[in-house]
Amino acid sequence: MGSSSRQRATGHGRQGWRDGWTRVLGAPAIVAGVFAMTFLLALPLSIMLRGALSAHLGSSLAAETAATGVNYDWWQEFTAQATDLGTTFSPSIVGFAAVLDNVSGVIDARTPIAPIAAALALYMTGWAFLSGGIIDRYARQRPIRPHGFFAASGGYFFRFLRLAAFAGLVYWWLFAYVHPWLFDHQFDNLTRGLSVERTAFLIRGGFYAVFGALLVATNLVVDYAKVRIVVEDRRSVFGALSASLRFIRHHGRQVFALYALNTLTFLAVLALWALMAPGAGGAGLSMWLGFLIAQLYIGARLALKLQFMASQIALFQANLAHAAYLAAPAPVWPESPAAEAIR
Amino acid sequence: MTTPRRFAAAFLLCGAIVVAASARQQAPAEQPPAGEPVPASQTAPNARSPRNANYEIDARLDDDAKSIKGRETIRWRNITDQSTSELQLHLYWNAWRDQESTWLRERRMAGLFRPPPADAWSSMDVTALRLRDSSGDMRDATKEMRFIAPDDGNARDTTVMSVPLGRSVAPNQEVEIELEWTARIPRPFARTGWVGDYYFIAQWFPKLGVLESQGWNTHQFHAATEFYSDFGVYDVRLTLPRRFVVGASGQQTARTDNADGTTTHRYQGEDIHDFAWTASPSFVDLSKRFESPTLPPVVIRLLLQSERRGQADRYFAIISATLQRYGEWFGAYPYPNLTVVDPAFQSDSDGMEYPTLVTGRSRWLTPDSSQTPEGTTAHEVGHQWWYGIVATNEFEHAWMDEGINTYATARVLEEAKNPNRVESRYFGGFIPWSFRDIPFTRVDNDRLAGYRLNAESDAPWTPTFQYWPSTAAIISYNKTALWLHTLEQRLGWPTMQKILSIYFERWKFKHPKPADFFDVVREVTGQGHYWFFDEVYRSSNTFDYGVQEFRSERLDDKTFTTTVVVRRYGEATFPVGVVTTFDDGQHVKETWNGQERRAVYVYQRSAKGATVQVDPGHVLLLDVAYTNNSRTLSPRGQQASLKWSLKWMVWLQDLMLTYGFFV
Repeated sequence: MGSSSRQRATGHGRQGWRDGWTRVLGAPAIVAGVFAMTFLLALPLSIMLRGALSAHLGSSLAAETAATGVNYDWWQEFTAQATDLGTTFSPSIVGFAAVLDNVSGVIDARTPIAPIAAALALYMTGWAFLSGGIIDRYARQRPIRPHGFFAASGGYFFRFLRLAAFAGLVYWWLFAYVHPWLFDHQFDNLTRGLSVERTAFLIRGGFYAVFGALLVATNLVVDYAKVRIVVEDRRSVFGALSASLRFIRHHGRQVFALYALNTLTFLAVLALWALMAPGAGGAGLSMWLGFLIAQLYIGARLALKLQFMASQIALFQANLAHAAYLAAPAPVWPESPAAEAIR
Repeated sequence: MTTPRRFAAAFLLCGAIVVAASARQQAPAEQPPAGEPVPASQTAPNARSPRNANYEIDARLDDDAKSIKGRETIRWRNITDQSTSELQLHLYWNAWRDQESTWLRERRMAGLFRPPPADAWSSMDVTALRLRDSSGDMRDATKEMRFIAPDDGNARDTTVMSVPLGRSVAPNQEVEIELEWTARIPRPFARTGWVGDYYFIAQWFPKLGVLESQGWNTHQFHAATEFYSDFGVYDVRLTLPRRFVVGASGQQTARTDNADGTTTHRYQGEDIHDFAWTASPSFVDLSKRFESPTLPPVVIRLLLQSERRGQADRYFAIISATLQRYGEWFGAYPYPNLTVVDPAFQSDSDGMEYPTLVTGRSRWLTPDSSQTPEGTTAHEVGHQWWYGIVATNEFEHAWMDEGINTYATARVLEEAKNPNRVESRYFGGFIPWSFRDIPFTRVDNDRLAGYRLNAESDAPWTPTFQYWPSTAAIISYNKTALWLHTLEQRLGWPTMQKILSIYFERWKFKHPKPADFFDVVREVTGQGHYWFFDEVYRSSNTFDYGVQEFRSERLDDKTFTTTVVVRRYGEATFPVGVVTTFDDGQHVKETWNGQERRAVYVYQRSAKGATVQVDPGHVLLLDVAYTNNSRTLSPRGQQASLKWSLKWMVWLQDLMLTYGFFV
């Protein structure tokens, strides 16, 4: 492929990126819906933790400094006796450290505690359910109303569950075997005789890149499989996976150019959050302001996740023979006594 | 020959004999090569210590085989009031010879051990031992050496060797022995070993135990302990490949390049009780002179890893701050020099002290507001006073060094390290993040958090080598620092400083025992404080005072009845203040001796009760649950818990989104 092909690929990637944002911003209900899901699933555990914190603070004056700033003595006393959720209450929850902690936790294969793992499993199941409706809506580029959305979600859910089972196997294999081989076995072998930390870090960074690439590759194949399941109404998950692989193989430059653009956008959001993330702060209005800013960040992350999906759909559709694919709305019998009388 | 000629010949012959004899008598003793200093006298009038264990060591590093071959002459003098007919020596590196040493058995028992690769082990073998007998001749005693296990009878432990002298050495008599040994250098084990081309070599030569009035004090090497030895003069020649930069205890007095591509570095140290050294071709070798109007100057030598070159100023600043404060608070640092080593990555040699040589601890990436490298460096420099100069028995009373030093270091850092913030590390520990809102305070450096988790694991007066290995440091370091800080809060810093400075000056170079420290406390304060030391030193009970009940009810139009019930939840006792405040701003202070299980106070006043605090000044830092020490009738627990649960919720949402990558 010559430079003109690269330019076409990049151009398609850029177009897909722009188109993706158009689709995301054109369906704000989806953004609101996934935000509500994220918020509501996190809420019960937060309420439980609040109960534990409140019980420990009781009527103590320690709450005064904990409310107005940081009472690190009390904090450490709490975590010393904490179990379950309380053990996750560490300084890493403050500001941008949360991002570092979470990304590091995943890429370093840290196992979440049971209540958190349960919430994460529920969350990912929620996404698996909603993805069908989301892809369908973005592919149609027109409102499909809630019943249309959830009908699509339900219709594709079991196909997506089968796809998730396959993806889960791959991810499990990566974390159970590839990750320890890289980060325990190979990293130990390569760094055993190293006396320079910077070199060890570069090696680890290289392993992060390798492992990350494997995760991204799996992610891409599964993402385009989902797109093909919905847009082409494919029944076979293995058929969708091989179709996804074919698409990526034939349009690799566009696919990776788009992924790179989305990743850069993601990094820009993180950088902005690193600058704006509130610290410990106090109680009262500043607390709510800080929480609001944090929710805006969560909203931006969610919009970005939807952008990944929407832009991939846009790229796929732009490469289809029938690029302006839009399915006609399914006919709906009107809900009214008059219509019932006609029937 | 005629008679006059015979007489003349005889006269000349006699004269020649006389001249020759005279010349022989007046010939100077063998002089050291020009330019090399004369070894310090072991009985010099300016000796600060007894100098009863003196070492001349000649050692060669085999960089390819990772081994050391050495020869040493030990001149030892019996400074006790008892005779002895044996010598006992430590061979510390045999603790890492195999898994059956006492050190490794204890580590395995405490779950602190992971079997290392085959090339990680070490050994120390004495290949020859000779004793100078009463006739002045050297007698081969190699076959008479035997290993002993005075602590646990472990026949597989070979860290203590006994050598029968064949005669009784009376008080003030001397013994001279020569040893030859080979040692295999381990991959890093307990702060000693090699990684890459970096060596840190400690406890590397056969070293005498300490003879006390009750007999030899030569403990086996235990997982929970460090070391104990007598003072002397060290004269050490180290031969290594020329490419190495070397640092060591004492001062370098000579350097000779040899024809075989090696260099012999000669180091001498007076009034020290150990000798460690380090070598690496990659060191950045920096020096700075510490000067103070009230303290003697010290040449600071910093051996820095090149990737941390940018931290040189931080290192020098904290070293100088520690020399200044310890010098002013306790007594001047008596040596002309101090070497600080910034250890190599994965060398496991960080955070350790040796006479006039310490290792710091740092990382390639470290925020300015975190106390890496300051925290460890201040602590290790501070050890020069308690470990290096006072030199207590770390096998039996580690708290007298580690605990006192942790307490004093926390004070140095409070003054000299600002800002000082809590730090966490991510991505395999390589990426730091400093929390600008969370200060790392003096009490954090007293290590309250760690103490709280294992407060009852051992009573401090238990000999340290019998502590449970995984929690030993918490008792030696944390608990001691906390009770010293508590004592300071009770007595005031000027009194505490006086105690420690008298203790230092009186007991330097003398191996004091716990009773000696407690005696100084009694002398300075005029009180024994036995009740306090019974709780913090002779017991493993925990302190926990709290408010059991606090209510204020209207009795009539003008009067409120405020009831305060304070309780001793823990088993240890300490007198505490109880302060109750009222809505009108007034307060009442009670003093409770803390002995009974609870105390009840009832007030009838025109104002309603507002708050109550037990030990409001947080004098008792050993209280494991300070949150329950107070109550208020206008609690903000709901607000505080809401604030922090909202922050936690954002963390959880972010975690969910991170896992959302997979769907």
